[in-house]
Amino acid sequence: MLWKLAWRNLWRNRMRTWLSALVIAIGLVALIFLDTMMVGMNTNMVKNATDSLMGHAQMHALGFRDEHEVNLTINNLDESLVQLREHPDLTFLSQRVLTQAMLSSSGGGEPVFTLGIDPAEEQLLSKFDEAIIEGEYLDSVSANKMILGWKVAEKLELVLGDRLVLTAVDAESSEMAQVLFRLSGIFKTGEEQMDGSMVLVPRQTLQKMLKLEGRIHQIALRYKNLTQEGIPLRPLTKPAESSGNELLLWTELMPSLYMITQMTDLSMAIMGIILFLIIALGVTNTLLMGLYERMFEFGIIKSIGTTPWQSARLMLYEAVCLGFLSIVVGLILAVFVIAIFAFYGIDYTGIEFSGVTFQEKIYPSFKWERLVIYPFLSMGFTLLAAVYPAFKLWYMLPIEALRKRKL
Amino acid sequence: MAEIVIKTKNLDKSFGSGETEIHALRDVNLEIMRGDFAAIVGPSGSGKTTLLNILCGLDTVSSGEIQVSGRSLQSMSGSELAKFRREHIGLVFQAYNLIPVLTVLENIEYVMLLQNVPSAERKERVRKFLTEVGLEGKENRFPAELSGGQQQRVAIARAMVSHPDIILADEPTANLDSATGAQLLEMMRRFNEELNMTFVFSTHDPQIMERSKRMVTLTDGRIVSDELK
Repeated sequence: MLWKLAWRNLWRNRMRTWLSALVIAIGLVALIFLDTMMVGMNTNMVKNATDSLMGHAQMHALGFRDEHEVNLTINNLDESLVQLREHPDLTFLSQRVLTQAMLSSSGGGEPVFTLGIDPAEEQLLSKFDEAIIEGEYLDSVSANKMILGWKVAEKLELVLGDRLVLTAVDAESSEMAQVLFRLSGIFKTGEEQMDGSMVLVPRQTLQKMLKLEGRIHQIALRYKNLTQEGIPLRPLTKPAESSGNELLLWTELMPSLYMITQMTDLSMAIMGIILFLIIALGVTNTLLMGLYERMFEFGIIKSIGTTPWQSARLMLYEAVCLGFLSIVVGLILAVFVIAIFAFYGIDYTGIEFSGVTFQEKIYPSFKWERLVIYPFLSMGFTLLAAVYPAFKLWYMLPIEALRKRKL
Repeated sequence: MAEIVIKTKNLDKSFGSGETEIHALRDVNLEIMRGDFAAIVGPSGSGKTTLLNILCGLDTVSSGEIQVSGRSLQSMSGSELAKFRREHIGLVFQAYNLIPVLTVLENIEYVMLLQNVPSAERKERVRKFLTEVGLEGKENRFPAELSGGQQQRVAIARAMVSHPDIILADEPTANLDSATGAQLLEMMRRFNEELNMTFVFSTHDPQIMERSKRMVTLTDGRIVSDELK
């Protein structure tokens, strides 16, 4: 009966009830929409980062990432490759040689970061082949061809077919080694660092130049079976320190990006709490208005035997009914709003954020548990909003309430 | 010997303090017996409603003692008083005071629901009292769809349906025309005689005074006469 009474009381002032429900519903929509867009943005950023040069994980010799010392190549390479390839969730890997070098042309010189790759392997892992804007991608593991970022080409005023000299320190004698390359392609990834300083050459050519035959600096890996956050469900076991190698997930390779994805949850929680606290104050006001308007009636129900706890429950039930109504309205509105953005997306392409450039439109992405958590949160805050009016009702003396109108 | 349902001893009630203190009731000693059909009468401001409010535990006393159905109301908490009223006292108000969002049936059923009376018994009792008050067929109407007299019949059914020890009615006919008032009074008198239910009214209505078995007169908060008729 108290539920029935609460529900019917709610509809005594339809306009006020709908307005209150809309306020809560809009808060819920805002929170769900922001959350899905943030999740979508994070997914987009992680995908952009891991679909390009980095991959989902990388193996190096210990210390290589700090010093980029040309001699620090992966230990027991063959054995490591066998172990990696045995893992069922590993889809692709790319073996790379990396070095800092000087690139010279008739137009001048430019320090560059050089990557020696197997074009076929790299094609499966990163998107350099798709990023070619002029010329063509590398086609051999041993030719003297080179592709580079469009900004490097611009700085050195290069055109396809130009001859370029790459100079770097070799691993054996620490002396300068030079090799002549011909420019076969120019790429544009949209990422400042890659477009402005990266050069890709066939791996064996670079190994020969650096006197690193059979040795590599890095293995980049891609997994299948990832969480929504882009973390492998079954990552490879990290090698023992005694092996001299390290295997790092993208979360360790790019901690700033990982931290942003983690902070999203925290910032959404803070935003949600602030938003719902503001809404709760509005709901408290609405319930208090209802309480004062119906003070005499509450006096009646208390005088005919409704206990203080039952009276307080009546107020809490009204809040639950309001919360339920708001959630239904909010979820319907949220589905509608998200459907629109899921169709059109938000275009941030080309914008760089935290070292990652958005390559695609951002689309809302659900975390299904949030569709339960946020409605619970809105119900919780609606109930919280009812605590003070319920408390007032609990302690309201029926005789005082009855004096609000002549009997 | 008839059982005492209500007993007050040296009851005092005052509002305010110091120079603004008003004595609403002074030294009220009253015994209401089971089966009484008593009218508390007196001029406006004589303390009739205050006395009724105190008898049902809605208001507190300044001094003195009050027992209803053998229990002291002063020692009860708010929650205990609510439960006590629910079990032992039926209230009828001048302005009917039905719950506007509940139907006739739900209004009558309300107290029994609080008492956790089983559904079948509830329906049976509601049906019985609706017939008694002549409102069969109107159980699904809302109070606003009823006349004043019909609403007061519902209020009486609501007060009686839980089988309380006593019905306290504050000016129950004041908002009704004399014919309707007379009908309701006749109905209550019938319940009093057939069910031995105890009624106490505060009233100005000569019809009630005439039909009552006992008349307690209050003047300036004091009982000045207590006549059995």
